[in-house]
Amino acid sequence: MNAAACYLVNGMVSETSVIARGLRRRDPDLLDRLIEQYQHRLLRYLIYLTSNRELAEDMFQETWIRVLERGHQYDPKYEFSTWLLSIARHLTVDYLRKKKPASLDGLLDEEEGVSLDPPDLRPSALELIAQQEQSDQLSAALVGIAAEYREAIVLRFHEGLALDEIAAVTGAPLGTVKSRLYRGLNALLPRLKGAQA
Amino acid sequence: MSRDPHQQAREWIACGSQGLADSQQTWLHIHLDQCASCRDYAQAAEQFVRSLRSVPLAADRSLVRTTQMRVRAHAQQLQQKQERLWLVRMSCILVGLSAAITTPLLWRGFEWIGESAHVSSPVWQVGFMVFWISPALAVSLIFLARGIHLTDANGTSRG
Repeated sequence: MNAAACYLVNGMVSETSVIARGLRRRDPDLLDRLIEQYQHRLLRYLIYLTSNRELAEDMFQETWIRVLERGHQYDPKYEFSTWLLSIARHLTVDYLRKKKPASLDGLLDEEEGVSLDPPDLRPSALELIAQQEQSDQLSAALVGIAAEYREAIVLRFHEGLALDEIAAVTGAPLGTVKSRLYRGLNALLPRLKGAQA
Repeated sequence: MSRDPHQQAREWIACGSQGLADSQQTWLHIHLDQCASCRDYAQAAEQFVRSLRSVPLAADRSLVRTTQMRVRAHAQQLQQKQERLWLVRMSCILVGLSAAITTPLLWRGFEWIGESAHVSSPVWQVGFMVFWISPALAVSLIFLARGIHLTDANGTSRG
């Protein structure tokens, strides 16, 4: 390993060690900072996972409560974001199972006509319309594919997680992650093409 | 390569080509140069990723504030709970220690009183047992009464 890579790895480990120590102490300032830092990533993931902004916001809060309670279990060998997303995933899947005893695939029935509402960031009217159209098309296409494919695609292409990190978050073997990405993209691209035509 | 080259190329595109070895990257580039259909697939995937990243999904300020407040309140509750547990643990240890030290002394004290008062051994021994167990009995009764009171109060407020 060269010096730069060694420095990067050590930097990551020391940062995760600081997080782990803070979580063990239940340091509220550290938690505030982590909530600020990971707010968008976590919420985006939950919105794509549940296809329901309200539910995603509830799960967002519950995830941080769980992080506070289970902070001592965080292993600084791993990225904090991977651990955070896997907690969010477990909570959401548990909630959905309790609500409707089915796997994530069962979500599809409830997702008809649901769109992912982006917040108003006040661009120009024309930009807004174009952005909204594109966002709606994308949301409709994403909602139309199986939830586990959607999850893998969002983690890979939106959150930029590596394949092994996706495997850690979802608890699926690496081969399954690859297959979900391939099948998901195959299911998604024709929908997007159809929507644009 | 025994597998269908188009499927192989698309799998690599779907998984993101960054993790590929140099030889695989070269093979993929050559294949994309030669195959229009896979090239379209790669372009469509690239366009999709760009569109996905441009969707402005963000957390509201109020959500972040509410979450931070909830987390802080819960952290405080957990700390109070931990402090109470620490007190209970310490009390148990102190009670255990004091019982270990005082019980033999008390036994001898009751024995002496029994001999001085000329009562038989079973009598002063029963007296000792009653005296020894009465604080724990009293505390148990208080806790029981308080528990019943709280259950009743909860039942009334929900009903």
